[in-house]
Amino acid sequence: MSHAYTREMHPLAFVVSHWTNLCAMVFLTLSGLYIHYPIFPGFMGAARGTHNFWMFVLLINLVVRLVMGFTLKTSKLAGGREKELDIKNFLPQAENRHQLWPTIKYYLFLKKEHPLGGKYNSLQKFAYVLTVPLILLAAYTGFALWGPTSQWSFFLAGTTMVANWFNGGVGGAALMPMRIVHYWTMWAILSFTFIHVYLANIYGFDADRIMFAWKETGTDHA
Amino acid sequence: MAYEDRAFAEQLAARGVTRRDFVKFCGSVAAMLGLSESMVPTIASAVESAAGSKLYPAVWVNGGACTGCTESMAQATYPDVATVVLDILSMNYMETVMMAMGADAEKALYDTVNNNEGKAIMIYEGSVMKGWDGNALRVAGEPSLKILDDLAPKVAAIIAVGSCAVDGGWVKAGPNTADATGVSMYLAEKGIKTPVINLPTCPVNPEWIVAMVVDVLLLGELESGAILGKLDAQGRPKLIFGQTIHDNCPRRGHFENGEFVYQFGSPEEAKGYCLYAMGCKGPQTQTNCPIVRWNNQTSWCVESGSPCIGCGNFNWVDNGAPFLGRMRKVAIGSGSHNGGFAPGVAGAAVGGVVAAALGVHAIGMAATGRLGNMPDTEDVKEHDRKKGGDK
Ligand code: SF4
Ligand code: SF4
Repeated sequence: MSHAYTREMHPLAFVVSHWTNLCAMVFLTLSGLYIHYPIFPGFMGAARGTHNFWMFVLLINLVVRLVMGFTLKTSKLAGGREKELDIKNFLPQAENRHQLWPTIKYYLFLKKEHPLGGKYNSLQKFAYVLTVPLILLAAYTGFALWGPTSQWSFFLAGTTMVANWFNGGVGGAALMPMRIVHYWTMWAILSFTFIHVYLANIYGFDADRIMFAWKETGTDHA
Repeated sequence: MAYEDRAFAEQLAARGVTRRDFVKFCGSVAAMLGLSESMVPTIASAVESAAGSKLYPAVWVNGGACTGCTESMAQATYPDVATVVLDILSMNYMETVMMAMGADAEKALYDTVNNNEGKAIMIYEGSVMKGWDGNALRVAGEPSLKILDDLAPKVAAIIAVGSCAVDGGWVKAGPNTADATGVSMYLAEKGIKTPVINLPTCPVNPEWIVAMVVDVLLLGELESGAILGKLDAQGRPKLIFGQTIHDNCPRRGHFENGEFVYQFGSPEEAKGYCLYAMGCKGPQTQTNCPIVRWNNQTSWCVESGSPCIGCGNFNWVDNGAPFLGRMRKVAIGSGSHNGGFAPGVAGAAVGGVVAAALGVHAIGMAATGRLGNMPDTEDVKEHDRKKGGDK
C-alpha cells in the first residue's frame, strides 16, 4: 500500500499519452533491435516501417504532452485533489525544498521515514525532465541516420561532430559513430524505464491502476 | 566526313571501340555530371575536338599510399573509351609509369606546373604524411610535403583520387604514427585556396576521374566555377556521391524482404541474398558503385558477393572495421579499432548493471519491510527539524 491515487493527479489525457509512450517505446525498441541485427529473417521492411511510424508518434506525443504540461492543471500533492498548472510539478516546488538529500538517503536505506514532497519527489522530477532531452537525442540521432534527412546540414554537423569524438578529431562525416550513439540512446531510455517501472511498483500496483486504467485507489471514490 | 572526324573515327577504331560505344560512354559521363541527355552530343563533340588536337598539362603526384589507384587507372588502359578522354591529359609526371628518372623527373614536375601557372591539373594519389616534420614520406630527397607547398597554389585544381588523398584513407587508420591526412585538410591548414575535388573509395574508380576531366576541362566548368556548385560539403561531386549504395543496390529487394546471408557458404549466399547481416556498409556509404561498377562496368563488390566495406566513407577503416561486423568497436578518442569495446556489449552491460542494481535494491526493500508497503511519511522535513522549527 502507498498513498492514494486520484484522477486529479493524472487526468485521462495523461493516461492516453502514457499508453502512447509505452507502445512507442516497445515498438521502437523491438524494431530498432531488429534493424540493428536481423536475428531472424523476414521482417526488415516491416521493422523499418514500424520504427518510422512510432518515431513520429513518439515525437508528436512528446509535443502534445509538453503542451498539456503548460495548459492542464493537475493535483500538486500525491493523493490530493487541489490542482495547479501541471508543469509546476516538474519544477522546484516549496514542497520539495531541501528534500533532495533526504530522498537520496531514503532510497539508500539511510533514512527510515518516507520524505515529504510534492506529487513527485526531487529525484522523480530530475528523471522525468531528463526523458525530454533523451527522446530528443534519440530523434536527432535517428534523423541523422535516416536517408531523407541525413544530408541536412543540421544533422550532418552532428554526424561529423560525433565521428570526430570517436576518432580523435578525424572522423569525417561517417555515419557509423552516429549509429552507435543512436543505439546507446536506446539503452539509456531502457535504463530509465527499468528504474521507472521498479519504483512505480515497489509499494504495490496502485500507480498502474491510475496510469493505465484511470482507476482511483485509496480514495472515497475507489 | 571532315578530316578530324575521320581522324577521331580512326582513333576509336584503333582502340576497338565503336561509335556506338563512344556515344553510350558519353551518356554515362553526362549522367555522372548531372547533365541531361541533350548534353550528350556536346560532350561527344568536346571530346572529339579535343582528342588528338589539344593537350592539357597535368601531373600525377603520389603521396603515402599503396599505388592502388594507379593500378585502378591501369584498368582504363585496356583499349576502351575512357582512354580517349584520358589521352587528352598530357601527363608529364607520374612516378609509377614515366620514363624519366631522378632530377629530370622532378624538373618535369616543376616545369609543367610553373610553365602553365593556373592552368595545369594536379591529380593527387595517396595520403599527405605530415609525421616527423614531413619526413614520414620523402620524395627526391625532400619531405614530400614540399611538392604540395610549392605547387598546390599554382595549379588550377587538384583532383584528390582515392580515400587516402581525400582524408588519409587507410593510412590514417589508428594509430596513424605517420600523421597522415587528406589533401584538402592539409591545404586548409596551410591556407592554400586551390579547389580540391574529392573522389574517395579505395581505390578510386577511373570512370569518376574521366567524368571530372570532361567536366573540369572539356566543358570548362573549372574556369566558369560551375564545378564548385556541384560539390558537396566534403568537396565530393554530389552526383557521384549523393546517394547511398544501399539505395541503388540490386539486392535491396532482399533487404526489404528480410532475406539475409548470415554465413558465407550458406544456401542464402548462393541465392544472392542481402549482405547486411554480414556487415555490409552499403546503407551508410555514399557512392554510385552499383551504377558505374568497376573494371569497365563488369561488376562491383556486392554483385561479386562481398559486403561493401564502406571504402568510400570518411576515415573508413576506423569507422568500418571489423568489416564483417554490424558495428565497429569503440575506443573513444584514440581513433583505433584495435582493442576498444563492442557497442552492443557496452549497451547491454549498462542495461544489465541497472537491472542488477534494482534487484539488489529490491532485496534491501524487502529486508527493511518496505516491499509492497510504503513506510510512514515524516511529519516534518529533516531540514526544518534541524532548524528546530515546529511543523
Ligand atoms: S547488400 Fe548491402 S547495399 Fe545491398 S541491399 Fe544489402 S545492405 Fe544494402
Ligand atoms: S561498394 Fe563499397 S567497398 Fe566496394 S568500392 Fe564501393 S564503397 Fe568501396
